[in-house]
Amino acid sequence: MPDALVADLRAALAPERVLAEPLELTLYARDAGIIEGHAHVVCFPLTTGEVQACVRIARAHGRPFTPRGSGTGLAGGAVPVEDPVVIVTTKMDRILEVDEEDRVAWVEPGVLNLDLTHSVAHLGLHYAPDPSSQQSCTVGGNVATNSGGPHCLLYGVTSAHVLAIEVVLADGSVALLGGVDAEPAGYDLRGAFVGSEGTMGIATRIAVRLTPTPPAVRTLLLDFLSVEGAAATVTGIIAAGIVPAALEMMDAEITRAVEDFVHAGFPRDAAAVLLVEVDGLPAGVEAAAQVVADVGRVHGARSTRVAADEAERALLWKGRKSAFGAIARIAPNYYLHDAVVPRTRLVEVLSRVYEIAARHRLVMMNVFHAGDGNLHPLIVFDRRENGVMERVTAAGEEIITACVEAGGVLSGEHGIGLEKRDYMPLIFGEADLDAQARLRHAFDPDGVANPTKVLPAGSRCGDLQRVPEGAWI
Amino acid sequence: MTLHLDDDELVSCVACGLCLPHCPTYRVTGEESASPRGRIAAMRAVQWSGAPLEGDFTRFMDLCVQCRACEAVCPSSVPFGHLMEGARETLASDTRYQPGWRRAGYRVLGRHRLLLTASTALAVGQRLRLVPRRFGLPRLALRRRPLVATGNDVWLFTGCVMDAWMRETHAAVMRVLAAAGAGVALPGPGAACCGALHEHAGLVEDAQRLARRVIGAFPGEAPVLVDSAGCGAALKGYGRLLGTPDAAEFSRRVMDVHEWLAARVDALPVPARRFPQLVAVQDPCHLRHVQKAHAHVRTVLGRYADLVELDDEGLCCGAGGAYAALHPDMAADIRARKVAAIARTGAVVVASANPGCAMHLAVAGLDVRHPLEIVDEVIRDGR
Amino acid sequence: MSGGAINDGALATFAEEVGADGPVACVGGRTQWSVGGAVEAGTREVRAPAGIAEYEPAEMVVRCGAGTTVADLDAALGEKSQCVALPAWDGATVGGVLAVGRSGIRRLGYGPVRDTLLEARYVSAEGRLVKAGGPVVKNVSGFDLCRLLVGSLGTLGLLAQVVLRCRPVPAVSRWFAGELDPFELRLRLHRPTSILWDGTTTWLLLEGHPDDVAAQAAFARAPEVDGPPPLPTGGRRSVRPSELRALTGRFVAEVGVGIVHTAEAQPPAALSPGAVELNRRIKHEFDPSGRLNPGRSVLA
Ligand SMILES: Cc1cc2nc3c(=O)[nH]c(=O)nc-3n(C[C@H](O)[C@H](O)[C@@H](O)COP(=O)(O)OP(=O)(O)OC[C@H]3O[C@@H](n4cnc5c(N)ncnc54)[C@H](O)[C@@H]3O)c2cc1C
Ligand SMILES: Cc1cc2nc3c(=O)[nH]c(=O)nc-3n(C[C@H](O)[C@H](O)[C@H](O)COP(=O)(O)OP(=O)(O)OC[C@H]3O[C@@H](n4cnc5c(N)ncnc54)[C@H](O)[C@@H]3O)c2cc1C
Ligand code: SF4
Ligand code: SF4
Repeated sequence: MPDALVADLRAALAPERVLAEPLELTLYARDAGIIEGHAHVVCFPLTTGEVQACVRIARAHGRPFTPRGSGTGLAGGAVPVEDPVVIVTTKMDRILEVDEEDRVAWVEPGVLNLDLTHSVAHLGLHYAPDPSSQQSCTVGGNVATNSGGPHCLLYGVTSAHVLAIEVVLADGSVALLGGVDAEPAGYDLRGAFVGSEGTMGIATRIAVRLTPTPPAVRTLLLDFLSVEGAAATVTGIIAAGIVPAALEMMDAEITRAVEDFVHAGFPRDAAAVLLVEVDGLPAGVEAAAQVVADVGRVHGARSTRVAADEAERALLWKGRKSAFGAIARIAPNYYLHDAVVPRTRLVEVLSRVYEIAARHRLVMMNVFHAGDGNLHPLIVFDRRENGVMERVTAAGEEIITACVEAGGVLSGEHGIGLEKRDYMPLIFGEADLDAQARLRHAFDPDGVANPTKVLPAGSRCGDLQRVPEGAWI
Repeated sequence: MTLHLDDDELVSCVACGLCLPHCPTYRVTGEESASPRGRIAAMRAVQWSGAPLEGDFTRFMDLCVQCRACEAVCPSSVPFGHLMEGARETLASDTRYQPGWRRAGYRVLGRHRLLLTASTALAVGQRLRLVPRRFGLPRLALRRRPLVATGNDVWLFTGCVMDAWMRETHAAVMRVLAAAGAGVALPGPGAACCGALHEHAGLVEDAQRLARRVIGAFPGEAPVLVDSAGCGAALKGYGRLLGTPDAAEFSRRVMDVHEWLAARVDALPVPARRFPQLVAVQDPCHLRHVQKAHAHVRTVLGRYADLVELDDEGLCCGAGGAYAALHPDMAADIRARKVAAIARTGAVVVASANPGCAMHLAVAGLDVRHPLEIVDEVIRDGR
Repeated sequence: MSGGAINDGALATFAEEVGADGPVACVGGRTQWSVGGAVEAGTREVRAPAGIAEYEPAEMVVRCGAGTTVADLDAALGEKSQCVALPAWDGATVGGVLAVGRSGIRRLGYGPVRDTLLEARYVSAEGRLVKAGGPVVKNVSGFDLCRLLVGSLGTLGLLAQVVLRCRPVPAVSRWFAGELDPFELRLRLHRPTSILWDGTTTWLLLEGHPDDVAAQAAFARAPEVDGPPPLPTGGRRSVRPSELRALTGRFVAEVGVGIVHTAEAQPPAALSPGAVELNRRIKHEFDPSGRLNPGRSVLA
């Protein structure tokens, strides 16, 4: 017997776009992270008006709501807590307008990141933020988590590519944040919303900047006999005034695993490899590639391979991007961390990270955005092994602490969600968290948009947030 | 309640969602229940938490096309095809998932003479306009010219529906093989049906029975060539289906006909004139995701025609063996994406190495041909 | 290089100076003092601390007092061939530039000012030191208060110290000008740093490797000039880049960006009612008594 909330939603949308059966709800209990919650009902609006209806009906029945895109988030942002109405954007997947001259596209939130790039490729344009999950994640989810990717080193993360957002706020009203002109009036609400992980409302239409495809590209693979040499090369490249389009590092374990998987000719005996890409105009690219190779040599690069053509370049990138595929050969489960440290402290932090994994008897690999100091320590394990989850969690905590102690931050691209919410006090004081809570409060005074995410309970001075009752593992 | 699935296989999905955009039913619906990840989560709910088999679970499983695109792209190497076959096997044995009429339909496939008779009846029905177009059948021939063996270098697997409905394709394939210098042997009536559809439906015993018959119909060492991607994938899977050394040995002899020809492409005649139209290559799922033999089609066909690739990364067309008949609406929605992708290429002729896909796409008004029919036409024109 | 001219003590002193009550305004170089309306009479004026606190060239970020002038900062960074993407008008301070939030004429190549600020320490309306963001180039830990502060005209908090992203100084930097189609140039050239247009003449700033600059200049077929034209300072308007085509009268426009500089004042840009309400609520949350820069508004 469906409850009144479900009945109202079915009347407002369409019966088949409102799910409330137990098995259906189970499928929306989690995202790609490891925390589980419980949805009260799941709905699939098609229009801004329907999103408004979902929010208003949820509120009328005293329920919070949780926005969800593809559910590839790793921080538990889309995990339903407090029995919410889950509002899924996957059926709002139209590209509404592509303006070739202004290089702007208006899209619905459920458009997949890579679909957008494919759809404008014939114009010589692309959507620059390229998370490794770009084939699957939605632009709405990217906006909500301020996603990054390898090529964000030069081009900037999502926030630098979002111009305007139509948002359904927690009271069901609609606001347009930002604009497709250069200096929209008022506070930068667009900037405040990007990365808000669904706690400030639901993005229903998004204007993104499209980036011209560069005329020249060079992709280099440098191979080192020590992690230190690779890390010193990273710092050296940046210090030499080169901002590569991408600067990625893979350690020995992951390089071997990747090579066995893709057979791209990665050196199986390297301690670390760097995948560096420079792009732009031909002479500048040539010069930058030379500097990269020189800096590498100074720091002990054993070899430097330059991709001869687009096919070889694609193969090298395939190696980098199938890192996750490769690890499946080692153990069935992984826990992917995400923290940023100052680039000059990479060597030191990496050695601490390895030490932590070894102490907890865990297999750990590193494949990450070295150019911006964005570490991705990857712990692989078999969940069924007794007591392994405790060790994985404990190691994770120590890794985060080590990064913060080196002057780093909790997350470079995956967000805080539920996963890192309780670590927020590691980097923010009470007054800092209070300020963030005020921003949230301005958008959502009653705390009904994706409750319990991002800010730890009690962030707002004298205004305790409800503690989540969601089921945890 | 359990699904009798292997826990090791079930645990291997890490819910990353990288398979989502490659799944045709997820592409159409955007719903987890119609995605690989959601289907696995549902299997877990049954196997580990006692969720019921009947109802939603059956519905979610049944909507899967079994294209196995998810398996090909899964970074964790989740053996989705095997999980889905296992789930369906339990559904077929423990519930009323496969009602009598469906089982009877599948049985006809294994009884070739009955199938031929029924096909003739259908052909007559088509002439009398008694068969609605939306059934998606090709225009069936009233009479079928028998195929004649030309030697014994290779076997050609002829199969059930394909032999009944599209025998002209076999004839073209045999001419191309002859042009490459190969004499073709034809199997006896034992090779009536590969059993793929039975296996997909969860009717594993039927599938095993057919597999044993097929193996018996191809004695000797000669390669067994298959010109239907779905059948080829099934034959290559006999080793696993039956679990016997004989079956494994047989499976090793099986090759897609393009796979075999690609290794001998230089033996094929040089075309006097290339095929006059641009050809869009549609990759049947069981060629691309299961056999991973789709490149060979390009090697062979590319010698005779200018090819253009689709930009949908091999997304399924919705045919899925019996799927188009059982889920006509979903199949048509899936097909609409494929038709749009083909339209974006500007090509008017489509090459598909699987008869099911060809029939399904033809219903949407496309000019679909088997790759070797195109090769055959060019070779014959050159004479 | 590590300046040390500004330390935590200086921040605490600034916070004390701002205090917890009474109207207060932060003064930078007073170059844009009128943006957002006049400050109410009787408002106490304070100045943010100046000086570079930390600069590690290999890190390409710099930590400095918000009262530092952009010119001083660029001079220090220039020694290591780096700079910040902030417009450097005479006397303008880092805090002022960020508070006003207007990007310079190199925005086409460098991106907007708002992408430059990585971490901010500011004094809140309660007189407390608050940290927003973090000192690294990539960060999604918590809500993005930094972007909210950029362009907030000192009405949400007073910037004390900031961490900024640095950029390498390009190998060469040359201006060209001529009667060219600026819209065509924008489509055909790869990432020029600036294209200005007054309806007749187009100015083009090309930066990077000398050979690339020469090749692009040859393509544009424009002679080299000393620099950009003087910008009319009476008003500033922002439109969709393609709308620039329809401009008439006297102006200098930033092509590809959509900023128009005019001699006459421009009316404030319109905002949707929903956004206006959000602006009001944000101001109320951060400064309930309205003591920060009273009289000044981002909507004026
Ligand atoms: C002739 C001329 C033309 C100019 N044209 C342009 C132009 O075209 N484009 C452009 O981008 N800029 C232009 N500028 C302006 C300049 O580069 C900065 O944008 C300007 O704001 C510099 O700040 P200031 O230190 O002078 O700030 P002030 O003028 O002193 O203050 C500006 C605002 O910022 C607030 N403020 C100052 N410091 C702080 C702080 N620490 N914390 C919080 N709020 C603070 C003030 O309260 C005030 O509201 C021009 C300047 C001049 C003189
Ligand atoms: C294998 C793998 C690799 C990854 N690589 C990267 C990477 O390189 N870089 C990176 O940044 N991330 C990466 N991620 C994380 C993830 O893909 C991104 O965070 C992505 O942006 C999430 O998008 P989604 O559509 O899946 O959102 P979901 O997971 O569904 O949701 C994420 C958050 O956004 C909110 N949300 C979703 N849609 C909206 C909306 N329309 N309005 C408001 N809020 C909304 C949700 O409430 C939730 O808080 C990776 C994940 C995986 C599994
Ligand atoms: S099936 Fe594979 S690709 Fe799909 S969610 Fe599971 S692990 Fe990821
Ligand atoms: S087999 Fe095909 S239809 Fe079934 S879940 Fe996998 S991708 Fe989807």
